Amino acid sequence: MTNSELSRMANRLRLDVVETVHRAGDGHPGPCMSIADIVAVLYFEEMKLRPEEPRWPQRDRFVLSKGHACPVLYAALARRGFFDPSELPGLRSLGSFLQGHPDMNKTPGIDTVSGSLGNGVSVGLGMALGCRMQKIDNYVYVVVGDGEQQEGVVWEAAMAAAKHNAGNLIVFADCNNNQSGGKVTELSSLYPVSDKWTAFHWHVQRIDGHDIAAIREAIRAAKEETQRPSLIECTTVKGKNIPYMENNNAWHKRTPTAEEVAAAREALGGLI
Amino acid sequence: MMTKSTREATMRALVELAAQDERIVLVSPDAVLAGRAVPFLEKYPGRVIEVGIAEQNAVDLAAGLATTGMKPVVVSYAGFLTMRACEMIRTFIAYPGLNVKLIGLNGGMLGGEREGVTHQFYEDVGILRSMPGVTVLTPADAGQAYQAAKAMMEVDGPVYLRLGSGREPEVFPEETPFVLGRIREVASYGDDVAIFASGFVMNRAILALEQLKEEGIHGTLVDISTVKPLDSRAVAAVLARTNCAVAVEDHNFYGGMSSAVCEVACHYHPCRVIRLGLRDVYPRSGKPEELLDAYGLAVRDIVDGARQAMQRGSTV
Repeated sequence: MTNSELSRMANRLRLDVVETVHRAGDGHPGPCMSIADIVAVLYFEEMKLRPEEPRWPQRDRFVLSKGHACPVLYAALARRGFFDPSELPGLRSLGSFLQGHPDMNKTPGIDTVSGSLGNGVSVGLGMALGCRMQKIDNYVYVVVGDGEQQEGVVWEAAMAAAKHNAGNLIVFADCNNNQSGGKVTELSSLYPVSDKWTAFHWHVQRIDGHDIAAIREAIRAAKEETQRPSLIECTTVKGKNIPYMENNNAWHKRTPTAEEVAAAREALGGLI
Repeated sequence: MMTKSTREATMRALVELAAQDERIVLVSPDAVLAGRAVPFLEKYPGRVIEVGIAEQNAVDLAAGLATTGMKPVVVSYAGFLTMRACEMIRTFIAYPGLNVKLIGLNGGMLGGEREGVTHQFYEDVGILRSMPGVTVLTPADAGQAYQAAKAMMEVDGPVYLRLGSGREPEVFPEETPFVLGRIREVASYGDDVAIFASGFVMNRAILALEQLKEEGIHGTLVDISTVKPLDSRAVAAVLARTNCAVAVEDHNFYGGMSSAVCEVACHYHPCRVIRLGLRDVYPRSGKPEELLDAYGLAVRDIVDGARQAMQRGSTV
């Protein structure tokens, strides 16, 4: 896809999220919007996948450490052909295979359980080492939120990944400076994020997480670094491209009304 | 009393199995020495993933490995695994049913003995038993641990193997079978009382059975080495014969094997079961045998427990 096509796809996924959460009556729309561009680039350009064979051993892997943002992942999987988009409104409903947080055994295309915060880098590292031991030539991509980096296990994994030269592990840090309880910078002293990963001996880049070209270039540079794991610090906006959601943490978990869905459709209309 | 290391026996089994299956890999939160895994490391240096003192990462990382088809075995102290990394075991391994094996060292008071409470773990079985989908094994000695290790690697799913300090009493001949998911009658002199025992207090249970016989009470000793899934019907069948039991284990009073036996009794064959274990207190540092004697797991305690179980009516 071209950059503008990927950008439109990201907005398509954003609208899918708003409609899905509205129809499901529950979910986390805000956290989906900050990673929509990253997810679009991964699923519609970068990742080696076979939607008709979700467990294809040679595939690239994806770990959504901030698992509450799964509506955007489900939308990407549906649009990529893993299942029919008509399944999306089943989100969080008994009988649907779309769980409140990702479940590798229920949803085609999901590579691990996730959603208990902080664990994704570590699980991704295990995948990266497992693939390397089996001589599978692939990459493991992880999206970790900024707030969840308050969890200690993130740094246990960071230490181990560098020691094991996990050059096939590429982690995006979605830095929207919002978490459930408020601003990350007010709740902890996590920032500056990239300095910490640099100190843990990772290959570190900083980009605008909504700049498709920058995301693609950062992935290219990360792949060129074969010895060190890569951290791409993405400056993002929670609620991006939905005007009433942007930087409004009330949308961390909230169900849009029919009017709000219409407003989102209108805001995204020219962008899809 | 001869002792033999359950840690060494388990690792011997894993080294043998690893020769036939290159997907077997050890994940170590600085536990290569404690887990007696040096022979594994020397033979398969590329198949030991050392993560430093970081049990949570070890468990999550093992989950990731398992999603790719590897067969990771995480070795660490029982409590650091089942308590510090408890949620990682539950959410990232047990919930998706991944093929990860967990080896917990220092199980029980006996396992941690002189180290004190920080390194004695008597909650592990109860914690893991409460998680759907986890198999829990408590072999009685080194020979059983060797066979239990081999049996657990046959299971395609999460299994916890409880080991001790490395100085466990040798109680059974090496060739004694270990059948995962089954209980085993160790000896039976009669149906006066059942003694259910689990883990490294088996030697004491054997002595108690003999002592009871000398006192004219003819009991049956049963080894429960798979606490979950418990062979409930077989336990019930023993209870149906004896109508009373004493259950003895080196674990806290709640959640372990003795609780499981009581659950079976309630459901299938209500009768008196006297439970012997740590009575919901934190013990102290001490020499292993002295510790067990001091905290209610002396041979005499088992004998008295059996007698109490046999009394009909209220004993309050």
